[in-house]
This record gives sequence, C-alpha cells and structure tokens, in this order.
Amino acid sequence: MRQCAIKVENVWKEYRIRHTLEGPSGSLKAVLNAPIRWLVGRGKKTSRLAQSETFIALKDISFDVEPGESVGLIGRNGAGKSTLLKILSRITRPSLGKITLYQRVNSLLEVGTGFNTELSGRDNVYLNGSFLGMKISEIKQKFDEIVAFSEVGQFIDTPVKYYSSGMYVRLAFSVAVHLTPEILLIDETLSVGDAGFQHKSMAKMKELLRSGATIVLVSHSDQAVRDICKRAIWLDKGVLRMDGPAASVVEQYKKFLD
Amino acid sequence: MEIFKKRNEFIPIVITPPSSLELPNFRELWEYKGLFFFLLRRDIKLRFQQTVIGFLWIILQPLIQMVIFYVILGLLIRVPTGNIPYHLFFLSAFVVWQFFSQVVSYSTNSLVGNIGIIIKSYFPRLALPLASVASLLVDFGISILILLVFLLINGNFPITLRYLLLPVLVVITTIFSSGVGLLFGALTVVFRDMRNLTSFILMIWMYLTPIMYPRSIVPEEYQIFLYINPLTSLVESFQWIFLHEGTLPRIDYLVISLVVAILIWFSGAVAFRAMENKVADVM
Repeated sequence: MRQCAIKVENVWKEYRIRHTLEGPSGSLKAVLNAPIRWLVGRGKKTSRLAQSETFIALKDISFDVEPGESVGLIGRNGAGKSTLLKILSRITRPSLGKITLYQRVNSLLEVGTGFNTELSGRDNVYLNGSFLGMKISEIKQKFDEIVAFSEVGQFIDTPVKYYSSGMYVRLAFSVAVHLTPEILLIDETLSVGDAGFQHKSMAKMKELLRSGATIVLVSHSDQAVRDICKRAIWLDKGVLRMDGPAASVVEQYKKFLD
Repeated sequence: MEIFKKRNEFIPIVITPPSSLELPNFRELWEYKGLFFFLLRRDIKLRFQQTVIGFLWIILQPLIQMVIFYVILGLLIRVPTGNIPYHLFFLSAFVVWQFFSQVVSYSTNSLVGNIGIIIKSYFPRLALPLASVASLLVDFGISILILLVFLLINGNFPITLRYLLLPVLVVITTIFSSGVGLLFGALTVVFRDMRNLTSFILMIWMYLTPIMYPRSIVPEEYQIFLYINPLTSLVESFQWIFLHEGTLPRIDYLVISLVVAILIWFSGAVAFRAMENKVADVM
C-alpha cells in the first residue's frame, strides 16, 4: 500500500483578472486597432490594450495526504480552497509547483459534477463513469445502487435540466460516492439537501473511509469537518495557515473568526 | 473498491504548470476512448433521432447547394467544365469542401462551446473535436454515396480501380481538416470573435478553391495561388477518382500532402493543448 495518495509541492496559482469584457488578448479587433489607438493616444495617458491585474489564489502550498486519510479544507471565502480542489481535479493547472496523484480521483465540486444537462440522469451516470475510465459493465453493476441512494426514482431517465436542485445534488453526490475510485474531493455540496439526505451523505462518506478511500472535503460546516475528517488544513488568503488534527485546527479557526 | 482491484497498476499522475509546447497524450486519449465513443454516439443519435429531418438534411444540404450553383453557374453563366456535366463537377468537389468546412466549424467551437463540462471535470479536451470529426466522417460517407448515385445514373462515370485511392485521400483530408479546426479552436479561446471570423474565412476559402469553377478558367500565371491552398490538390485528386478527369496524382505529391497534413495537425494540436489549459481560467 502506497504511503502517499496526494503529494502537493510548492503550488502557486495566479489568475489574471481582465478589466475589459473581452477574452485574454481582447479581440482581434482590439489587436488590429492597437496601432491606431497608440497614434491617437500619444502624449496622453491612455489605458492599456487590456488592463489586467494579477490575483494570487494560492501561495506556496505544500502538504501530503496519505491513503485512507480524511482531510478537511477550511477557511474564509476566497481563501483558495475551491481553487486548490480544482487543481487537484485537474480542471485547471497550477502556475508553479507540482502535484502528484498516486490514486484515481473523483470530484464533486461546487460548480457541478460534469453533468451534461441535456442528458438524462442515466446517461450522466455512465458519462461520469467513463470520465473515471470505468467500463460500461462496471458502471452497470453499481447503477441500481446509485439510483436507490439518490432517491431520484423514475426521473433517472429524464434530462437533468428538469431536475430540482435537490435532485441534482442528490444524484451528483450518489454518483460521486458510488463511483469513487480511491480519492474523493468534495466541495461544499454537502450543505445543500435536506437534513435526512445530509445524514445519509455523512454516513456514506464514513463508509467510504472505512473501506480505505481518501477524502478531501471543503466545507463551511465545521460540524461536517469535525465529524468526518481526522485532519484539517486551514487556508487563509492563499496561504496554508495551519495543518493538523481537525478538532484543534477548527478551534483555532473559529477563534480567529471572532 | 472491489472493482478496482482487478485494474492494472495505476500510473501516478503528475500535475504541473502548463508549458506552451505540449503534444497530445495519445495514451490518455486511448484510456478515455469510452468517453470518445460516448460523445460520438450521442452526436450521431442527436442528429438522426429527428430521423426524417436529421437524415434528410445530410442529403438535402449538398443537393440544394448543387441545384443553386447548377442553375446559376451551370445553366445561366455556363461555366465551362469540359465533358463533365456541371452539376457533377460541382457536387464531386463540394462533398469534399463540405466535410472540410464542417470539421473546421465544429472544431472551432469545441473548447469555448463546451466550457460547461470543461470546468466541471477532467478529460482529455482533444476528445471533443476528435469526436466531431468522427461524427462528420459519417456525413462525408453518406454524401459520397449520394454522389455515387448521381454518377452512376449519368452512366459515364463508373466505379474504377481509381476508387482504391479513396481511403487514402479521405485520411489526408481528415487529418488536414482536423488540424485546421484545432488551430481555429485554439484561437477562439484567445480571440472571442474568432467564431464570426471563421465563417468569413471559410467563405473566402471556398471561393479560392476550384469547386464552383474548374481550375482551367483561371489564367495560367494565377493558378499558383490556387495551389497554395492545399484543398485545391485534394479536391482535384478526388475528382480524378470520381470524374476520370485529369492526370494520375503523383505518389510523391501524395506523400508530401500527407506529411504536410500531419504537420498541420500537430501544430493545431499543440496550439489546442496550450489553449485547453487557459480556457478554464479565462472564462
């Protein structure tokens, strides 16, 4: 059994914020007009072609996660938790540094799960499975369990765009936990859904942990973090402020908030 | 967990900052072939599901164009196409053009148009334009069949051994079209107005390819400009097969075309890879 599931080494993430409404280099029109704008603007203070500002979302983040660990990521909004999870999910790349994933990762992020809204729930289950490299037969094996857990019932064959937000989250969560390979990254979605479902979700995640999965959870509910996670990492404005046992980190964090 | 015990040893994934020169990861694309086929099946299902309309449209589109151009350029203006009936001349070139322009149009939109799933999950982004190309190949096949029907009805253009070269030409055309599409797709991430520009570029490109007119009506000294356009030789090679027209394409020219197509494809793929990393951040 490997000693490491995720290794994060000196990761930085920088975003460029554009003040114009166009894409990165503006539009072709803007580029072609540049000489004219320069001519007109000589001698006066002019705005640049595309004003931009750099926002550093993550600063020199390093930590290791062992297989079977349950880690909570906490911090204020804008601290970089979602960014970190996006990088771990390979949706975006770091600006500096390196991350090594020693096991397969499945993510449930705040933006959604990669559900294609035009497709039915059933198709989305299979689509998600194929993202994870699963074979149709493997997905089929788990299909009934997934539908049962999500309580979506007959709507499994309706296009997801017709789902209520509750149904969407329940199915998304069900897919994530049942099709999870070794590592599960969850961002904030536990807070949606009724109390009954939240209870079920917690129980399911603990079950996953018992069978050896690794979980990294971003949540604002310190209840959830304390309940499920043994370890917590506190991110503050992109910096790793504290990394230790969940109870103490959460305590420090709450003290800081007051 | 049990499912995964049977798997092969997992090769660790290393996530690093993007570099501007990243080649496509074919091994990874192969791993995600399930996704590729899923996208392909879905695209074809979507188009044929409106069975009557969907299937008919693939047939109707080239036919309607053929009728329009036939009336204007064949009957009214009478563009000289030698022994070949104008409508056959046009259609045999147009099916190739249509495939090229569709691949470019669909690929141009593959990153920006699919931003929804791109920001939510990881998969090799190249699977998107490649799935459109595969789906459009089906269309291409169907339009060639329709062309064949017209050719056989006419009677002067039977199927000959020349048709053996057809797969080779299709491969070269596919690689070239895909490469151009990938390049445009990459540019669309940076220049948002690229999508409009693409329609415009394709329109001009079509006029610069001898589809509505034969190369022979262009003065000799200007024909070189037509040849800068790789599609000219491709279209003429297809016409060599369908219409028994022109000289045998030289093997060495074909090999060069294939090599050039592959180079263009890799340039497009590298540009696409560079932009696929930017698209999730840019939006």
